[in-house]
Amino acid sequence: MSESGELSLPLRDLVSSVLAALREGDAREVAARVGRACLARLPIDGVSLSVMVDTGHRQTLYASDAVMEYVEAVQFSLGEGPCFEAFQTGVPVLVPDLASDAGQAWPMFATQVATADIGAIFAFPLRQGAARFGAMDMYRRDPGWLSDAEVATVLQITDIATSALFAASAGGEDGEISEDSIMELTRTRAVVHQATGMIVAEFAIPAEQALARLRGYAFATGRLLDDVAADLVAHRLQPGVIDT
Amino acid sequence: MNDSPLEGAVREQRLVSAFVEMADTLVDDYDIVDVLYRLADHCVTLLGAAAAGLLLADQRGSIQVVATSSERARLLELFQLQADEGPCLDAYRTGEVIEVVDLSAAKWRWPVFAPEALAEGFRSIQAVPMRLRGQIIGALNLFGRETGPLSGQDLEVARALADTATIGILQERAIRRGEVLTEQMQGALTSRVIIEQAKGLLSQAATISTEEAFEKLRNYSRNNNVKLSHVAEQLMRGEVRIDAL
Repeated sequence: MSESGELSLPLRDLVSSVLAALREGDAREVAARVGRACLARLPIDGVSLSVMVDTGHRQTLYASDAVMEYVEAVQFSLGEGPCFEAFQTGVPVLVPDLASDAGQAWPMFATQVATADIGAIFAFPLRQGAARFGAMDMYRRDPGWLSDAEVATVLQITDIATSALFAASAGGEDGEISEDSIMELTRTRAVVHQATGMIVAEFAIPAEQALARLRGYAFATGRLLDDVAADLVAHRLQPGVIDT
Repeated sequence: MNDSPLEGAVREQRLVSAFVEMADTLVDDYDIVDVLYRLADHCVTLLGAAAAGLLLADQRGSIQVVATSSERARLLELFQLQADEGPCLDAYRTGEVIEVVDLSAAKWRWPVFAPEALAEGFRSIQAVPMRLRGQIIGALNLFGRETGPLSGQDLEVARALADTATIGILQERAIRRGEVLTEQMQGALTSRVIIEQAKGLLSQAATISTEEAFEKLRNYSRNNNVKLSHVAEQLMRGEVRIDAL
């Protein structure tokens, strides 16, 4: 775990690599790079990234192998399972021993995956409060927990993935995406969350769109998201101006 | 650091009711974030702290505010500053109680945090780590308007309150083998973000301050027996009408 919440060097590499994919406007490539970073840095055997396309529906942008594809497909046809739950509830779902833990919580899912070579499943939502973007799921052949340091790495990667996939879906920012803009969602202040709520109230739009508008406005005016949010909360800026 | 400490029997009675209330919320279906807000309030009433806050490890190497005794914006910022430096972060990192009897003598130690806290009129600070079996999951932070230490007895109460908060966080879901708390911790941190978003929404819609918006959310949650974080989320999704609050 890094000392002051700063990113360790390998994760900085991930930010630049994701940034390059974003500049080409390729969301699938962004997801693939995040996924490969997980495989390289964590004791897992497979990973997938999915985004929410509209309420409740999701699209898998990247699955590293056939097992992960199968796990995703099974859950979304049954409507149950750890990844499905993480996606729906927005809370991480960690299943360190699938064979003994899954039966009670997800009986149909447990039956379907019993023959697959899966020991553990870890599912992490990609979200910023009420704004939900998707989920990142991983599996390992051997059962067992992730260590504290591994959890720290996963959470830092989910922060980067959330921000990057969000930027990819918001679009219209070609050439303007910087390392700072990828990182700004990972260290937000309360004012950013409050400002998001204000935009939701002003335009009656979902939280995801409100956040996109805020970011778009910050880009267009060459300001930091934090500063725009602070102005909105202090009524130095009216939410009505954040209209595209 | 006590502003107006309660005396003798009255204090003892309040203390008992506080812990009974905490125990009740732990056995019932409850909202962890709401319990933590109540705990912060108890710190102010029972320990005479001018302000109290609970900060949880974000499991990325830093700490984040989850509940405070007042939602005043400046105060929130002050607690949150400790994501980078301050007594709460030190308590979390070292696992020790950090007692600052005179904040003006601590400017060298926390060059950003200390001057900001002094400017807000705080003179002393206590930070008590929240522990579970050797693992530290966050810290309870008390701000005082006067210089000086907490009494030994008050420090014991602060520790007991921090322990209660820890148990609360862990009990939200059955602890699976007690090893990783990621589900509970990340869940609590996400709830906090949604509550901030809902405060912003309500303040904009009703033309009130974020502090007043928080009070409305909290009252609605209590009067309708709905979890605070649930109300906040429903509001953000447009599933609860704003005028219902």
